[in-house]
Amino acid sequence: MPNSILKVENLKKSFQIAGGLFQQKQYVNAVIDVSFEIEEGTTFSLVGESGCGKSTTGRLITRLIAPTNGSIMVDGQEVATAKPSELKHLRQTVQMIFQDPYASLNPRMKVKELVGEPLEIHTKLSKAEREKLVLEMLEVVGLNAEHADRYAHEFSGGQRQRLGIARALITKPKLIIADEPVSALDVSIQSQILNLLKQLQQDYKISYLFISHDLSVVEHISHYIGVMYLGSIVEIGRKETIFNNPKHPYTQALIASVPIADPTLRKKKIVLTGDIPNPKNPPSGCTFHTRCPLASDICKQAIPEMKKINEEQSVACHFVH
Amino acid sequence: MTSPTTVQNSQVQHTQRKYSPFKEFWKSFKKQKAALLASIFIGLLIVVAFIGPYIAPYDPFEPNYDALLEGPSASHLAGTDEYGRDIFSRLIVGAKISLMVSFSAVFLGLILGTILGLISGYFGGWIDKIIMRSCDVLFSFPDLLLAIAIVALLGPGINNVIIAVMIFSVPSFARLVRGATLNAKENVYVEAAQSMGASHVRVLWKHIFPETMSELIIFVTMRIGTAILAASGLSFLGLGASPEMPEWGVMLSSGRDYLGTSSHVVIMPGIAIFLTVLAFNLIGDGLRDVLDPKIKNN
Amino acid sequence: MSEHVLRVTDLETSFTRDKKEIKILRGVNFAIRKGEILGLVGESGSGKSLTSLSIMQLFHGTTGKIVNGSIHFNGEDLTKMSESAIRKIRGKQMAMIFQEPMTSLNPVLKIGKQLMEAIEMHLKLQKNESRHHAIQMLKNVGIGRAEEIIYEYPHQLSGGMRQRVMIAMAMACHPNLLIADEPTTALDVTIQAQILELMKKLKEENETAILLITHDLGVVAEMCDRVVVMYAGQVVEEADVFELFASPKHPYTQGLIASVPKIGDNKEILDSINGQVPSPQNMPNGCKFAPRCNQAMSVCHEESPPTVNISTTRQCSCWLYATKDVKVNA
Repeated sequence: MPNSILKVENLKKSFQIAGGLFQQKQYVNAVIDVSFEIEEGTTFSLVGESGCGKSTTGRLITRLIAPTNGSIMVDGQEVATAKPSELKHLRQTVQMIFQDPYASLNPRMKVKELVGEPLEIHTKLSKAEREKLVLEMLEVVGLNAEHADRYAHEFSGGQRQRLGIARALITKPKLIIADEPVSALDVSIQSQILNLLKQLQQDYKISYLFISHDLSVVEHISHYIGVMYLGSIVEIGRKETIFNNPKHPYTQALIASVPIADPTLRKKKIVLTGDIPNPKNPPSGCTFHTRCPLASDICKQAIPEMKKINEEQSVACHFVH
Repeated sequence: MTSPTTVQNSQVQHTQRKYSPFKEFWKSFKKQKAALLASIFIGLLIVVAFIGPYIAPYDPFEPNYDALLEGPSASHLAGTDEYGRDIFSRLIVGAKISLMVSFSAVFLGLILGTILGLISGYFGGWIDKIIMRSCDVLFSFPDLLLAIAIVALLGPGINNVIIAVMIFSVPSFARLVRGATLNAKENVYVEAAQSMGASHVRVLWKHIFPETMSELIIFVTMRIGTAILAASGLSFLGLGASPEMPEWGVMLSSGRDYLGTSSHVVIMPGIAIFLTVLAFNLIGDGLRDVLDPKIKNN
Repeated sequence: MSEHVLRVTDLETSFTRDKKEIKILRGVNFAIRKGEILGLVGESGSGKSLTSLSIMQLFHGTTGKIVNGSIHFNGEDLTKMSESAIRKIRGKQMAMIFQEPMTSLNPVLKIGKQLMEAIEMHLKLQKNESRHHAIQMLKNVGIGRAEEIIYEYPHQLSGGMRQRVMIAMAMACHPNLLIADEPTTALDVTIQAQILELMKKLKEENETAILLITHDLGVVAEMCDRVVVMYAGQVVEEADVFELFASPKHPYTQGLIASVPKIGDNKEILDSINGQVPSPQNMPNGCKFAPRCNQAMSVCHEESPPTVNISTTRQCSCWLYATKDVKVNA
């Protein structure tokens, strides 16, 4: 892919959950063999339900946690194996927006300190220069200069998310990882923030790694999407292709499960049976086989490989060619 | 370029007057009547500690063999001791010693304990284990016994009392700060700061330490009370201040022999110690009601 | 009137903070018929959750109280009943399920014990009869291994399972009215689909009326027969679900529907509603939505709009549809 700002290959993360010096160690595989690329100025969404590993993937890319295996290339620099001291450049190029607008802003800091903190960390600008940039950024995200002296809790959820965005933008990053950025917001505020994110992408040529469980939001904002289930990507490709013609049974069920805000479109659901398995105890072979309408013996035994079925779509399923 | 979503987003919720953390604190603290009273008392005590030597009616060191062991009267508000010295004056000057010893000891213990607690809680792993096990060792000694042991090692005297009290304060502070740090570490904004590239020092100083402050402040006020008692106790045992110093514990000790006959010699410094420690505890209680995050967040 | 299971009239509820009484619900009106699913839609600050708590009279430990209005349940006014009388109704004829199944199930009691508690209290069954009934209820909500589940604790179950248990508990006594407050918001999408199917099935079997409270318009469109839209403690629109989505009348409803991203819509920019919900202490004069409304007229900022009957099945509280002569809903 030309101009890819992020390239992830065979990313793997296992957490040790039990055991130590005298006990047998137990692991949970949160992320299993994940690969994708993000082009400059585009949005790639990771979508999936609980336990799918999408949030963990986001944290691996910012190196908040270290990968067990695999490669993460950010703007040409290998990040997966880099030492903590080499990560300063990464932290300027990649910024994060968090889900909870209330918890992600330090309640004791004034807005100008909050939004200016990345500048304080990465640049040698004076306090006055930083403040000037902060005020500019506040305007860009739709807030006012007069807000700079306030505390975060004086604002509403939507406004706080704008603050989070301002903070993420201020070092002019090339990639922003947005972890469920609108899930905690009301619908009418959600749309404001989504519009803002789109506008900023146009103006600043930022790429987004958009992590969400909300398919409607993902469909609106993405160019490419990757559907995750229990740590693996099961289907990946262009948004339009996947939504119009999903091939993996899980993707089909997922899209069909989303209630549409139009009663005339009440459709027959593909209602999956059973619960999402616990990542600590994943099913053998294809982890989806316990709930899949197409499951057969091969699914229990072998993990399906990711196959490219057309220019814009790849699927990991034994029954899709 | 302005965002299409600008315009009417400028309203800030409840915009009346600007929010200030101090105003908020004062508003709540004002309602704690007992703590307010206690604060006034301690305030006065601190003032007295500073200007003590100037306002004391008599010289606290000068004996007066004509007025031995006199009970409280108009000329001697708290009576006189076995050397004829005015007890009230001695109490006033002694305030300075008691406060200075306890404040220094607690303050030093606070600094050391906080640093250890922050490191322990934030980094975890083997450094946490080492620090906590060391604290456990110190904890296993009863406070006073430990203080006695240290003073016995270092020799008597006010400075060594300060060191002893400081040492046995450190584990409590460390444990408290470590607990608060473990909590604070979970906050999303800490993660946000780390993902921004903040150094560990920055994260600890700007994002974690402020979270521990309210618990620390409460604990410090309580601890000062304990320190005063400890210092007095050590002096009482003859391990602290030298006998002619008007330190309250020493006054208690030397007055022991007269308990049956002229009990005021013991009761007066006893009351002074009692009131001071009580006042600090009341302040601590009041602060806790105002600052304790568990009570606040409802 | 008699076919209405629930009839809420002019409901006003307030809370007290810092010794000041703050009115949150300012005159809520709606009714639910037997076997109907009524959606109560609103965003944060709309008062929808408080409405359900008011109906169930669940104010213990808070400063909330109903200051006006009536709540007629099966013909009886709940606001005029004693606590013990309401307790007989709660859990038996009227039941509630909440958003967070972890916090509404007692974490230290086994599932069976909690289920049977409700059954024994209301149906007056013996121990082994009630256990049998409990197992039956769990099977009814799609829990296959019901005989094992009754001996497990809530934390051992997944979110979807816990919500099923909550539904089983609520339905155990075959209530006339089920109040579901954001029942699927905390669940994954595929699990949400299961739970919604389940609720529909139970409604068919038992003819239970459901008051479904949610902010998710998709869920409303899927599940509801009628919809009530709330804003800032008042009802702004009430309509049949098809009518509401086909042609929403109130500007807030229009804005809300237009802001929801719909799969297949292909909109570049989503519509949004400027500004934010006013706080109860800072309510504007006149229509509460006027400051954010792009169709506001001068009267909107001065006087509260009356509730207008747009048709026999629709009502709307908006000056756009009211003239001096239009009859106001009684």
